[in-house]
Amino acid sequence: MKRRFPSFFRNIVFSLLIIGLLALALGGYVKTLSRLALTPIMAAQTWVSKQYTGFEDFITAPRDVTAIRQENARLEAENASLQAQIVELQQQLGEYQILAALLDFARAHPEHKYLGATVIGRDISPFLHYVIINRGSDDGLRRGMPIVTQKGLAGRVSQTTAKSARVKLITDPTIKVNVRIQPSRSEAILTGSITGDVTLEQIPQDAKINPGNLILTSGLGGNYPPNIIVGQVTSVRSQEYALFQSASVQPVTDFGELEIVLVITNFNPIDIEPLIPVPETP
Amino acid sequence: MHTFLAIPVLSIVTILQSAVVSRITLLHGTADIILLTIIAWALQEEVKTGWQWALIGGLLADFLSGLPFGIYTASYLLITGLTLALRVRIWRFAILVQLFATFLGTILSHALSLLAVIAQGTNLSFQTVLETITLPSLILNLLLTIPVYILIQELALQVHPRKIEL
Repeated sequence: MKRRFPSFFRNIVFSLLIIGLLALALGGYVKTLSRLALTPIMAAQTWVSKQYTGFEDFITAPRDVTAIRQENARLEAENASLQAQIVELQQQLGEYQILAALLDFARAHPEHKYLGATVIGRDISPFLHYVIINRGSDDGLRRGMPIVTQKGLAGRVSQTTAKSARVKLITDPTIKVNVRIQPSRSEAILTGSITGDVTLEQIPQDAKINPGNLILTSGLGGNYPPNIIVGQVTSVRSQEYALFQSASVQPVTDFGELEIVLVITNFNPIDIEPLIPVPETP
Repeated sequence: MHTFLAIPVLSIVTILQSAVVSRITLLHGTADIILLTIIAWALQEEVKTGWQWALIGGLLADFLSGLPFGIYTASYLLITGLTLALRVRIWRFAILVQLFATFLGTILSHALSLLAVIAQGTNLSFQTVLETITLPSLILNLLLTIPVYILIQELALQVHPRKIEL
């Protein structure tokens, strides 16, 4: 006859065994045993996990690459768009700085009325120094109106169409500007040249001219308003037997970078040619 | 019909010349892409409108330039005559003719411009002009002449497809 433990005692024994095992495990006494038991299980789990991960990569990786490529293309497009915006903003900043400087010039010379114009082209002949601006007779431009930049004199309108005008720069070989040299207040004539170099001619021999002297328009001849800065003397050529001195000039305007100019619209050039006496022929 | 094609093509070339090419200088010289276009067009096989293109290109350039009216027209017509004469004699090597005509054309065009500038009363040194304007312009023209020739050749092939004999 078998004696059976009552279930109550069996449960108590079973619980004590479990608690004992847990206590041994917490105490670190079953490590070797658990290692022996778990090693094959972990190896099997690792193998299954690797196989599953490989399978999952195989299924999902191409989709991820496509998504990354699409994202990359979108970001590249966005980057290009932002770069274009930066370039545009830099250009606007440059224009703003020029306009601000032009405004300063206009404030410093309030006696004139100004009209802003953009340089849209240059003369196609390398022998001439002209620029084409985007304002014409429709905007009130007339032949002979002076053109200035924020730094000083640039030239004068030589021809107009309805929507554009051709401006002869002070570097052109056919231009002549009556100027005054500061501080000596001597009068001279400024001329351009085919290479764009600017010189002062007909400076009186007794005039004291030095490099660095400022050159302003004198207003004589009626072609330009007085007291507009033209440039600075860089070197003086004086010969004892010559009637006049001459000098090289560095214009204040950088004609290579001419972008925006101001047209002085309330200045009417005076044609003094009829007043110049013509020698009578016998 | 092909004469009218000159108006849009040469208008674009003239705008490019004034707005872009004239700003790119070597010393004081600049390239003349109107001249190069006219030479390249005159050298294309099947093209019989070289004179008309020269006339239209010359007029457009004269309208835009401060030189006395007619200087560019006369220059381009003379250069076209020269190019056509070279084409008849050296017809097998169009690119060589293009280079040679560009060389002669640049010299001729500058000589006429120079005469006009002198007639306006400008004092100048021929050596300075040669060193700082004409030779640099010649170099720029020679650099650009082959690309312009290739572009115009493509245009000519679109306008005048070559006939294949069977």
